[in-house]
Amino acid sequence: MATTTATLTLTSTDLLTDSLSLSATQTLYKAGTTTGLDSIQYERLEVPTGDVYDMIDATSAGANKANKIYIANKHTDATKYVDIYIAAVNIGRLYAGDWAFFPLEAAAATQDVGIEAISAAQVVEFALIHEGKTLVAS
Amino acid sequence: MATTTAQITLTSTDIADNALSISNTMTLTTAGTETGITETTGLARKKIASATEVDLLTVSNLEVTAAKSAKVYIKNTSTATDKYALIGIGEATGSPTYIGRLYGGDWMLFPWDANETGGAAHANNEDVTIKMNDATETVIEYMVFFE
Repeated sequence: MATTTATLTLTSTDLLTDSLSLSATQTLYKAGTTTGLDSIQYERLEVPTGDVYDMIDATSAGANKANKIYIANKHTDATKYVDIYIAAVNIGRLYAGDWAFFPLEAAAATQDVGIEAISAAQVVEFALIHEGKTLVAS
Repeated sequence: MATTTAQITLTSTDIADNALSISNTMTLTTAGTETGITETTGLARKKIASATEVDLLTVSNLEVTAAKSAKVYIKNTSTATDKYALIGIGEATGSPTYIGRLYGGDWMLFPWDANETGGAAHANNEDVTIKMNDATETVIEYMVFFE
């Protein structure tokens, strides 16, 4: 088994009257266990405009598990963003420089993670640390 | 304007032959600008002792502007790695789209579109829903950054 950790440090000295300093660390385990996730897909790609593209295909081997996904928009123009979808639902925008980290249920084959670049092609990086992936025969 | 940063460090020495080491810091800004976000719910804690699906964040109860650059932080503070909170987007009384499971100790930070299609409880509202896998009392921490 592998040991993978994800640490968040969230800070601000002036958002609130008092300083905000939040830290959270998790070890990435397989669903319901203390066995580390041991599969990974790590990519960098340019997303063109014009459509919602599948970034991650939901497959039965990874359904209803403890998969985790990291997505970063590597664009540098603060006015540009990508929309992140799960199935047909736009969950939110990642502007240039933004990142997100969340678990991925992938409950059905329709629950792919999609991405749409708005107003300009944008480079994104993503890492899926997962429990399994159904391979497609060539 | 405020300056709020979120840094992620994702590391492993043995998930592949070569070490994984991802580190990224973002500044939380308003949509399409370099101006820092100035509004937040603050850090909240909620005890949930039911397996019934509920809204953790209801768009109509917050002043979140839809389709901007809102971010949501959620953590399952439990230490039970066999129990989870299933997080979704939609209406708790409808059929939310599930993002994923936060097992004990897990956290997530994600952008939130926060669209409200109709009034409160409209089936197409993009609330953030939560459903525990059983009725074990669990404390969930959450925080929203918005404009």
